[in-house]
This record gives sequence, C-alpha cells and structure tokens, in this order.
Amino acid sequence: MAQPFPYTYYSCDCYDSKITPNPSKRASQPPPADDEDERTFDPRNPRSNYSLYPLEHLLYCEDCQQIRCQRCVIEETLNWFCPSCLFEVPSSVIKSDGNRCTRNCYNCPVCTSPMTVNSLENPADPSSSGGPWILACPYCHWSTVEIGIEFEKHTGITSQLTRIGNGGKAIPTPKERDKERERRKELETMKKDRDVLSGSEDSPTTDRGRDDGPPSHDDIFSNLSAFYKSQIASQTPSNPFSPHEINFSSPSSFSRIMNLYSSTTSKKQKREKPAPMREAASVLEGLIIHDPSEDAAAIERIKKEGWSSTLSSTQKFAQPIPTIRFDSELRPIASLLCTKRGKRCRSCRHILSKPESKITSTRYKIKLLALNHILRLSLRALSTTTIQPGTPSPLAFDYNNLKSGIPTHFLLHLSNPLFDPIRVTLATPSTTPGKIQSRVTILCPQFEVGANTDVWDDALSSSLSPIKKPTSIGPDGQPQTSIEAGKIWDRGRNWTSVIIEVIPGFVGGIGFSVGKSDPEDELDEDEDVLEIPIFVRLEFEADVNAEERGLGDSRGERGAREKREEAFWTVVGVGRIAKM
Amino acid sequence: MSRPSARKAAPKGEYIETDSGNKVSRRSAITGTANITLGGRTVIMADVHLRGDLHPTRAVPSSSGKDVTPTSISIGRCTVISTGSVIKPPCRISRGQVHYYPMKIGDNVFVGPHSTISAISIASHVHIGDHTTIHPFVIIKENVKILPNSVIPANMVIPSSSVVGGRPARVIGEVGEGWGVSGGGAGVGGGLGVGGGGEKSWVEGGDLRELVRSIK
Ligand SMILES: [Zn+2]
Ligand SMILES: [Zn+2]
Ligand SMILES: [Zn+2]
Ligand SMILES: [Zn+2]
Repeated sequence: MAQPFPYTYYSCDCYDSKITPNPSKRASQPPPADDEDERTFDPRNPRSNYSLYPLEHLLYCEDCQQIRCQRCVIEETLNWFCPSCLFEVPSSVIKSDGNRCTRNCYNCPVCTSPMTVNSLENPADPSSSGGPWILACPYCHWSTVEIGIEFEKHTGITSQLTRIGNGGKAIPTPKERDKERERRKELETMKKDRDVLSGSEDSPTTDRGRDDGPPSHDDIFSNLSAFYKSQIASQTPSNPFSPHEINFSSPSSFSRIMNLYSSTTSKKQKREKPAPMREAASVLEGLIIHDPSEDAAAIERIKKEGWSSTLSSTQKFAQPIPTIRFDSELRPIASLLCTKRGKRCRSCRHILSKPESKITSTRYKIKLLALNHILRLSLRALSTTTIQPGTPSPLAFDYNNLKSGIPTHFLLHLSNPLFDPIRVTLATPSTTPGKIQSRVTILCPQFEVGANTDVWDDALSSSLSPIKKPTSIGPDGQPQTSIEAGKIWDRGRNWTSVIIEVIPGFVGGIGFSVGKSDPEDELDEDEDVLEIPIFVRLEFEADVNAEERGLGDSRGERGAREKREEAFWTVVGVGRIAKM
Repeated sequence: MSRPSARKAAPKGEYIETDSGNKVSRRSAITGTANITLGGRTVIMADVHLRGDLHPTRAVPSSSGKDVTPTSISIGRCTVISTGSVIKPPCRISRGQVHYYPMKIGDNVFVGPHSTISAISIASHVHIGDHTTIHPFVIIKENVKILPNSVIPANMVIPSSSVVGGRPARVIGEVGEGWGVSGGGAGVGGGLGVGGGGEKSWVEGGDLRELVRSIK
C-alpha cells in the first residue's frame, strides 16, 4: 500500500534467518554482526517487497525477542463472517456450503460493488409481495434484469438464484438432473435395442422435447461426477454386486459406498492394483464434444456486438464459471466471507495476537505489538513547521519535489517505547542504492534515547535538557547555523532527534549527461523515489525475562538485569526527486 | 452534547470554540444548526458544509405538544472534518416524497479534505482520505481506513479493521494490529507530514485529541 512521504518501513529478516519451527533453539540473539555488515539492505531488491512493513503491521515475540511479520506468524482462523451482512457463519456450514455468503449478499459482476435488492413493483398495479424483485448495482446500475432474472421474494435470494438460470429458465435440482440423466440413458439403450432389432436408423424418438441446446456447465459436471462414481463402484475389487444392483437400503453396502468416497480410508482398502478406468464416452457421461459452430457463433456475436459485450479477465475469474465469454452469461457474485484470525509465532508458537471472537468486537485478548517493543523512527524535513492537515500551507515542504544536488536537512526522530534507556547506533550507506545515487550523511550516528517513563514525569519536569538551539532561519527557510556534526539535534523524555543531510541525486544520470538518452539510464517506475536504508542497532539493559530467570539461574535474584542487543534494517522513504 | 449555535464571544480567529471545546471555522457553512450535535472537541474546518437542514420529517410525532427538534447530523468527540468537505444526510425517495435519515459519525473520526459524505453511520476511529465520496446509506464500522480518492457505493457495509479503496471501493486489506496505537507515548503520524521533532502528535485511527488541540 502506497504511503505518503515521508514513511518508515521496518524489515523483518525472517526469510534470511530461516525461521526454525523447532522451539528448542531460540534465536534470541540477532545474527552475528559481521554477517550483517557485509551487505547493505537494498529496498529496490524485489525480495525487499516482502520483508518491509510499516511498524503498525508488525508484531513482537517476547520469547524470541524479535519482530514478527506476516511471513513469520501462523494464522489461526477464529471464525468466518460475511463482510456485507456481518453474520457469523459456523465452520460446519463453511465445510458444506463453501466460503460465500448464502444470505442476500451479492456483488456486482461488472464492477464488484455490493448489490441491493430492489423492487420492480408497478405503482399502478401493486402486488401483494411488493415484487417482483431484482438485484441491482447502485454504482454501475447493472441489474439482474439484464440477464433476465427476477425474484418473487426479497429474501432468500441465494436459494431463488440457484433455481433460476439466465433468461428466467428454471435450473433443475441435482435430483432432477439425475432423474433426467437416467431417463435419457434408458431412452438411448432402448433406441439402441430397437435399432438392432429393426435395423433401421430412422425410428422416430418422440420424447425429445426437453432437448434444448448444449448441456450446461452444471449438467456436464453432474454427468461426469455420476460417471466417475459408477466407475469407482464397478472398479472396487471387493464389490460383490454389479454397480446397477446396489441395494442402498442394505446397511452393509451403504457403509461400503460411504467408505469408498471418503479419502481417509482409501489406503486401507487398497488391496489390488485397480484396473484402469474407462474414460467418459458420451455426453451423458460428461464428455464434452467440441462444437465448432459454437465458436463461429461467438465470433459472429463479437462482430455484431463488439468488444463491449465481452468480459474482462477479472470479471471472468470472479464468476462461478470462469469460462464464460459474454455479458449475457454473467451471474451475480455471492459475497466472499471474511475471517477473524489469531496469530502465533512461527518459531516458538506463542500467541502474538488474539482478537475477541465476537464479530462485533474490535478488542483483542492478546496483542503484542512491535511498536511497544521497537524504537520508532520517523523523518520530517527540518524546515517544516507543524502543518495542519486539510489546510495545505504554502510554506509546507514538498516531499514530492526534492531538489537534486541541493543539500537538504531532515530530522530523524527516534522514540523509545521501552522503560529502559537505549543506546542507538545508526548506519547508512553513503549513497543510496539504485540508479539515482543520493548522498546521505547521518550527522550523529551514535546517541542515547531516554526511557519511556510515566508521561507525567515529562509534564512535571517540563525542560529536561534544553538543547533547543537558537536557530536563525535563513532566507531559504533553512536554519543557517547550529547544525553540528556529532551532536544530536534535540531530545526529550523518551525521544531523541538527529539530523540527516541528504543530497538528492540527479534524475537521468549524473547531471553531466543531460541531453544524452542512454537506454541504460532509462528509469524504472518509482526509481525517482528517494529511500534511505538505515541499519539500527540497539543496546540496552533490561530485566531478565521471568521465564528465563526461573530456569536455574544460580544468582536468580530479583531484578536481575541482562544486556540485550537488537538490530534491524529500516527504510525511510524521504520523497520523490524532482525532474530537472 | 452541545450545539454549535451555543457560541461564546471569542476574539476573532479562524475558529469559534464552543463550551464543550468544539472548534468551528468561521468560514464553514452550517445549515440547520438546531439539527446538528457535536460531541465536544470536534473540529469543523473552513468551507465545510454541514447540511443540518436536511432532517427527517416524518419520524417525529408532535402529538405530545412539545416541538421536538429532529437530529439530522450527530458527530462524536474529537472528530475532525477537514476543509471543503460536505456532510449531507442520506435520503430515499418513497412514493414521490424525499425522506432524509439521520446520520451518525462517531468519535476520533478523521474526514480528509474535499470529501463528500452521505453515509448513514460511521463508527469511531475511522480515517477517511481526501477527495473521497461516500454514497448514501453506507455503514462504516470501527477502525476502518479509506484511501484517498475512493468512491464508496451506496448501501455498502464496511467491516471493522478493513482498508478500503478504489472506484467503486472494495475491501483491499486489513489495518495492522497496531493501527491507531500510538506506541510508547510519543506517537508520530508520518502520514501528513505532521509530527516528529518531539512534538506530541497523532496517528491515523488513533486518538485525535492532540490533533484537535493543535488546530487553532
Ligand atoms: Zn518476518
Ligand atoms: Zn452476507
Ligand atoms: Zn456494478
Ligand atoms: Zn517466538
């Protein structure tokens, strides 16, 4: 998700450190420092896309003493609910009915907007039910009228929709479909017998009235699945009956059939190598015979109606039958359910977050946030005064228009959520990676950030250490003096700010090659975004973990302190460099 | 609860502050003030149009003799309505008549500049980006982030903790567990170039008290 400048992303190194699912070997210490020193984190590396997160998306495992991102947590689904009607769906229903809402929640197949049930009642001739009803999209105004579907009731849309095909035709139920298939099969065998007996081809079949057009997707599926079922039944070596004589009322044969279709018992029952199954040989067995006339008709239709009658690939893939081509074949899309999930550490399995299971609740039972455990970095231009949102002031610093070659000062603000003071060491490559090389200098890379004591302490001792410099603002809006290397800019109770000097690089080569257009110098998308990788190393003393203190520490006195060290990469998005 | 009409004499400034700490810009356009309630410490910026005049007409029975003022817009505490936004209660036409329905906006809601809002209800801790259009009868649950330039189609229900964007808008993600939490006291909202430098600041979806305080 694109964030406005300036932003800070934190890198979770779980991929590189290769999380072990074995909790016995805890990676409580960061990887060796020399390993880290060897390479610079490159925010432009495609892999970085998957390891950079805003701080509020990260969790923290107190046992592993590491940040945890979406890749290094395990999710556990607590419940399912429909995002539209907000009803919870029990997991048994998920198993039987799938992951879509079975109430009245549908999305527009054209634009994805949620649809509403509207009445088509004629005010001059009101009906008792207030209907007929349709599903209509309030955004693009597509409605089921366009596919010839109207509903009798305004509730139970799903069950009504499963019975109405496009154009208002009734869709047979699975039972009706099975019956119809059997009937046709019988007809076919009868016809064959008759043909053999009479030897003539032209015996008229009178009962063909129901034969209309090619079989639907559902017909083919049910035919094929019935065919496979019969094949599996006939292939079973222990089958004492022929497939046509199965007595479903006999409990033994019924349980045997049930076992056949449950996947768990298949291994046990495998005794002999089964003979290869026959393939479907007719339409009634689910065979699809390619009909070139259908393609020709489709081409004709595109010729006549143009591209606008065809579907985009995203529209197609959202459909229950993704092979359809034309807008007349669209069906409203039942809302996909959402989940509420808890998260565990992938390494030690401790719970990191657990929301309350009630759908309406937004509270958490457990929530271990990285922002309560990790130093927060934020950047802003030094020249800016606090701007009020909504009132763009002309003096505001334009992060989307960084000036190439002009040294610009930014304030890097670090705030400490921990109750212990932290020694911070920052490191950054002197030039940013990527085609546009910007020079970066952190004026004070080593400093301390105070402990996060009670907020009231801060209020009471209003001036902790007034290092605020008497800055004189120059004509260019930049403070002229008092930016000193090796000195922090300012600090408060649990925060410290330092200056970063950035000289944005030149868009389109090194400034001298202006005019020349080298394909090598072609910029990729977002290549003009100035991002600074900053390596952060923290050292602090903290109370020894209660759990570890219990584990046979001979000097296990209360309040024992241990030295801790943490290190991670961050990427600060400063802004976009202006085109020259 | 107080009405923005209950203004006290204040020195000329951008904002008129009410007894309960609401800050209403002198350059805002508020119609039907009697039908609007502001929860306190809520900011109405310049060029914001609150359509309190579009209030429900049929729901209020005047049989008791008392003339009950119908509420058309109720806004909670520490909510910020930014420059140029329009808040217009949703309406439905039934049997040839236009009926307006009261709109409710919760606490700590941030409405970005130049947005048009006709939702029926917006819960607390919702962040709405700039230039967003919210069509009538939309329901937005708690902790929702709406990206700038989105169009929320009518009647859409947005479940809590979702990130929504696009035209028409759809749920495109979830806000992180840490959304709206200003960790360790000094929260910093990098979002709008506010914060840093040790000034107490605000985070999207979080407590907007500090933001409200900073607006003068
Ligand atoms: Zn990770
Ligand atoms: Zn639903
Ligand atoms: Zn639509
Ligand atoms: Zn862990």
